[in-house]
Amino acid sequence: MADRINIQAFSLQYSAATPRVLSSLILEIPRGTCCAILGPTGAGKSSLLHCLAGTMRRHHPESLSSGSIQIGDRLFDGLPPRVLFPAVGLALQDPHVQISGVRDTVFGEVLFTLENTSQVPEDPSAVIVPLLRKLGIDHLADRKPTTLSGGETQRVALATILVARPPVLLLDEPTTAMDLAAQERLRGILRGMKQTTTIILTDTQLDFALGICDQIVVLEQGKVLFDGSPGKFLRRMEEFRALIPLESWLPMKQNILRLVEKPTRFGSRLAATLGIR
Amino acid sequence: MSTGQSLSRKLAFVLLLWVCAFTLPWIIQATLCIILIIIRYAVPPLRPVTDRSAKAFSRFILYSIAVATLVIFLNALLIKEGEVSATVLGISLHEGGLVFGAKTASRLLLLSFSILLFFISTPLPELIQYLQEKGLHPSFALVLLLTLHFLDQLPARIHQIFLAQQARGAPVDSGLFSRTKALFSILSPLVLSSIVESIERGTALELRGFLERPDVTPALERRVSHTDWLTVLLILLAVALLTFRILQWLTA
Repeated sequence: MADRINIQAFSLQYSAATPRVLSSLILEIPRGTCCAILGPTGAGKSSLLHCLAGTMRRHHPESLSSGSIQIGDRLFDGLPPRVLFPAVGLALQDPHVQISGVRDTVFGEVLFTLENTSQVPEDPSAVIVPLLRKLGIDHLADRKPTTLSGGETQRVALATILVARPPVLLLDEPTTAMDLAAQERLRGILRGMKQTTTIILTDTQLDFALGICDQIVVLEQGKVLFDGSPGKFLRRMEEFRALIPLESWLPMKQNILRLVEKPTRFGSRLAATLGIR
Repeated sequence: MSTGQSLSRKLAFVLLLWVCAFTLPWIIQATLCIILIIIRYAVPPLRPVTDRSAKAFSRFILYSIAVATLVIFLNALLIKEGEVSATVLGISLHEGGLVFGAKTASRLLLLSFSILLFFISTPLPELIQYLQEKGLHPSFALVLLLTLHFLDQLPARIHQIFLAQQARGAPVDSGLFSRTKALFSILSPLVLSSIVESIERGTALELRGFLERPDVTPALERRVSHTDWLTVLLILLAVALLTFRILQWLTA
């Protein structure tokens, strides 16, 4: 069952001597929705995900935080004190580091997550093989995980998290090493997961987020500059052209808006594809 | 023979060799080194896992023979005990120094060959799985995993940084002096990138519940359920050798 995420006046500093990485953040992400956090490098996107996953306190014990984070019915004053997996799953930006190297095959690597969380079913193949098939990597099941290409590694890394079925899934720039076909496949998978999982993904561009996200948040220097629906974002996108590469979208903006507002079949299909209501 | 049993035997064998390195005469140690070089192909559990590790081991043998020769020569040069055994380029090498050098070199060779043979013949996943089955705490397993992974990736990483330096026009392959100079310029990116990757790799494992895992992995059956007599015999032999050596030392 997906969990709602509620962040109230949350601020974070890595130490007393450094500036705030996240500043008075207020965010509400309803359960079973997908939220894209967009922004340039250094905006605080990855830091926010690490705060939600519970790794921040452990890796930066000297960090200072205020405000609260609520994930489902768990409320934390400041940072969560421990890693919240499998309640919250975080797929890191670099997929290669997500491969543990303690198993010889892709199948074993995915199974390793279930072993860690004591969730190994009677027949692990019944759980793992369909997941690998869904991600389009079932043919790699017997391959050594460290010998795969960037895109394949990214999907294996994702499988190692998805196999635990976390109610909250955090994806840190998930499409970095993926080709367009793999991105489309991932988009389909995430769409299918929204009923049971709350998804937050970060990205430096808009392209992947449109079409699956119900909410777009723009961060800059730890502050929320925008929080709203994709439609609302499209209408105001000029404001963020300095932060997010929008060159390919801006010339089409008026046409897109005109088409989706028309009560035609094409208009409603385009609106559905882009996630605009 | 199960994987766990094979690993237990290998560990006991390494333990015995380490004890031999501190208890037996140098001539036996040197013989053991030669035996180790030969049996790595003859004994299946000691065969290198990959061609890369086989090549690395062969290279290591060549380097260590060079280092051993240097150690013997330096000791013979510095320790002027006993009669002059040989004269090389007008330098007299004394018998006492030669013997001491041979002792030191054979001990170092036996220690390094045995540990290296263990690691090149044991796949990392198997080792970690075995140690965890034996009750190794996940934190230690994590440290071991990160260290071994770092060592495994080190040559590739150095090569990558060398290429990057070369692409920037650094004269990394034009003579020994340039190469040595370039080595210093790769140290900082090498250390920094290794630290960053180790932290990220550790975080990724934590994010998959590695540190929270139960003591016994349910998916894996305990593979060593009965006593393996060969392992016991090897350990007993090591203990006996050690005891004998201590007694010899006390009564001397």
